[in-house]
Amino acid sequence: MAMTDRLSAPELPIVHRRRWGAWLLGAVALVVVVTIVHAAIRARIVNLGVFADYIFDPLIVMGAVNALMLGTLALFIATIIGFIAALMRVSGNPILVAISATYVYLFRGTPMLIQLIFWFNAVPIMFPSITISLPFMAEPLVSTPTTSLVTPFLAALAGLSLAEGAYMSEIIRAGILAVDKGQRAAATALGMTQRQVLAQVVIPQAGRIIIPAAGNQYIMLLKSSSLASAIGYLELLRVATDIYSSNFQVVELLAVAAFWYLVMTAFATAIQTVLEKVFPQR
Amino acid sequence: MSTAPEQTPAVSVVGVSKKWAAVSAFTDVSFDVPQGEVVALLGPSGAGKSTLLRCVNHLETISAGRIYVHGDLIGYRLGDQALYELSDAEISRQRQKIGMVFQHFNLFKHMTALQNVMSGPVHVLQRPKAQATALAMDLLDKVGLKAKADAYPSELSGGQQQRVAIARALAMQPRVLLLDEPTSALDPELAQEVVETIRKLAEEGQTMLIATHDMGIARDVADRVIFMEGGRIAEDARSKDFFTAPKSDRAR
Repeated sequence: MAMTDRLSAPELPIVHRRRWGAWLLGAVALVVVVTIVHAAIRARIVNLGVFADYIFDPLIVMGAVNALMLGTLALFIATIIGFIAALMRVSGNPILVAISATYVYLFRGTPMLIQLIFWFNAVPIMFPSITISLPFMAEPLVSTPTTSLVTPFLAALAGLSLAEGAYMSEIIRAGILAVDKGQRAAATALGMTQRQVLAQVVIPQAGRIIIPAAGNQYIMLLKSSSLASAIGYLELLRVATDIYSSNFQVVELLAVAAFWYLVMTAFATAIQTVLEKVFPQR
Repeated sequence: MSTAPEQTPAVSVVGVSKKWAAVSAFTDVSFDVPQGEVVALLGPSGAGKSTLLRCVNHLETISAGRIYVHGDLIGYRLGDQALYELSDAEISRQRQKIGMVFQHFNLFKHMTALQNVMSGPVHVLQRPKAQATALAMDLLDKVGLKAKADAYPSELSGGQQQRVAIARALAMQPRVLLLDEPTSALDPELAQEVVETIRKLAEEGQTMLIATHDMGIARDVADRVIFMEGGRIAEDARSKDFFTAPKSDRAR
């Protein structure tokens, strides 16, 4: 066809190229997934009856609540520890920087499981008894062996908070560094003290920056609470383990536990989404 | 030295030097800015204009000399043997009366235009919210941005952001306003609206010290030009003399 014919052709519809490759890949992926799910159902790896029996079992629900409490409390404490460690790290004071960096190295560099078992066993050895005494009184007000105070819950909370605090300090430090220097200069030039600059400008802006990463850490912590099963804290995994060690319905009870972890993760994701809506980055 | 000896100069820079470990920003700089005067600091990039400006409100420390704003020695206390740096709280109090406008505006990103303008009165001066809101709305009106009170900085053009930044500085009722390259980050059209705002302030008698490359500001707004080069003052002249008959080679 000559060029002039093309130019003078009447209005023609426009046809875009079909992404056949992508559709083909999608079809292959779907076949793979269906095959795996079908095999699982055919093999009856999960007895749905047993699953349904245990899904709202009071012990299981208590374990899930305990896990949620442990993970949530640990996140709050870790955020406070992480905030302090991050401020030390950016302070420019070499002693504070060294202490903070060492803390992060030790607690990020060792497995959480080791830390949990360590605190559960080491604290009672380091401080055999805890004594609170008032001046001018012969008898101490409170004196009790530490082993009676360091419950599995407290040891797990301390272990998770300290380990997570190391991760949070790096996240918060990154958030603080991401706040433009000009923002601080402007606040300082207005006459704000360093504390006001932190409270009015740095924390509100860094806080917004770290929400997605903190949400990630919250989900990790909720699942890491399962490590507390190793020191006998009755959280979700421990309860499930205790039940299946007597009735041998291992897969069903693990599925029940997994279900509740998914519920917790959905909860954490929802909180993160709401926070990101309420405190959008501008 | 001072043009009006009966009046304390708004800014008095006396033999000030600034050097970092290896490099020197400027050496032995002295000048006075009388109250109500508008001074443009000109000079090539790296001449130390911005650093000098940041020394006036002690965002940068100085290496030698003294800086006074309305008679107050800025950043230091005069001792028998030395100048001792003041506490964070004391320096913050001095900065309350020294406004600053930045090249990149530096509006608080998480606050609306109104909240930005209110931030000084509310957080620094502890003024009641209602009073601060009224003042901030007046100032936004003055820079022509009353309609944008609830906009966030990311929703404003560069020129609008800079005008909000000027309003934010004015909300503290500063005795002197330091402007660090206020139009350098703007294209000519947007720069013009900022120049107009600055000119309005000049007509109201606001004392200003402006580091700039903008010849429009230096020629039409400033009363006086200080030309810096190589860390020293090369020329200090009335604005119209500077532009009609510059004495230094480089300025020509």
